[in-house]
Amino acid sequence: MINNPSHPKKGHLKSKDCKFTKAGIEYIDYKQTETLERFLNDQGKILPRRVTGTSAKHQRQLTTAVKRARFLALIPYVTENMR
Amino acid sequence: MKKDFYEMTYILNPVLDDERFSELVSFVNKLIEDNNGDVVAVDEWGVKKLAYPIEKKSTGYYVNTYFNIPGEAIQVIERNMRINDDIMRYLTLKYDSKMKRYFELRQKGEAPVIFDEAEEESNEEDDN
Repeated sequence: MINNPSHPKKGHLKSKDCKFTKAGIEYIDYKQTETLERFLNDQGKILPRRVTGTSAKHQRQLTTAVKRARFLALIPYVTENMR
Repeated sequence: MKKDFYEMTYILNPVLDDERFSELVSFVNKLIEDNNGDVVAVDEWGVKKLAYPIEKKSTGYYVNTYFNIPGEAIQVIERNMRINDDIMRYLTLKYDSKMKRYFELRQKGEAPVIFDEAEEESNEEDDN
């Protein structure tokens, strides 16, 4: 949270409405790591829905996308400097 | 025979040279074609840094392929991928209609943007 300027708790993701619904997304791609990282905290954990305002449907898709990206080493499971 | 649309991403051992990379890519493509599949697109991302070490290596050569193939062939392909020591990891996804629609949009370069800096500013205005 301290290092990440785009952290939602810092007021970057202000609006409470779902970013994916707004953009009309049907499928969240695990290859778009930049997008996925917006929904992770600096430890690499997935942020809760209450923080990001993502709709339930898209949060489920996001979770799968993040897990696929982690498997292919596009996103870390745990961020190293935290250990 | 009914064919489904699949996407497969795999990571090759980065220690090899370019010649071996293209050899492996054609090995995988041949594997798909030998099992009644047809390759739609191959996208080589090249050597990328891994987010965490795999088999004690910090980089990997990423390849992203799209193909149509009957479902039974997948286990044959995955078995061959697993046996090959130079393929460090692979992920196969079967596409449903929503994913296919997204893929077609992406091919045309019209994939919806989620975070566009300029757009975000205008969104803020909308909120007021």
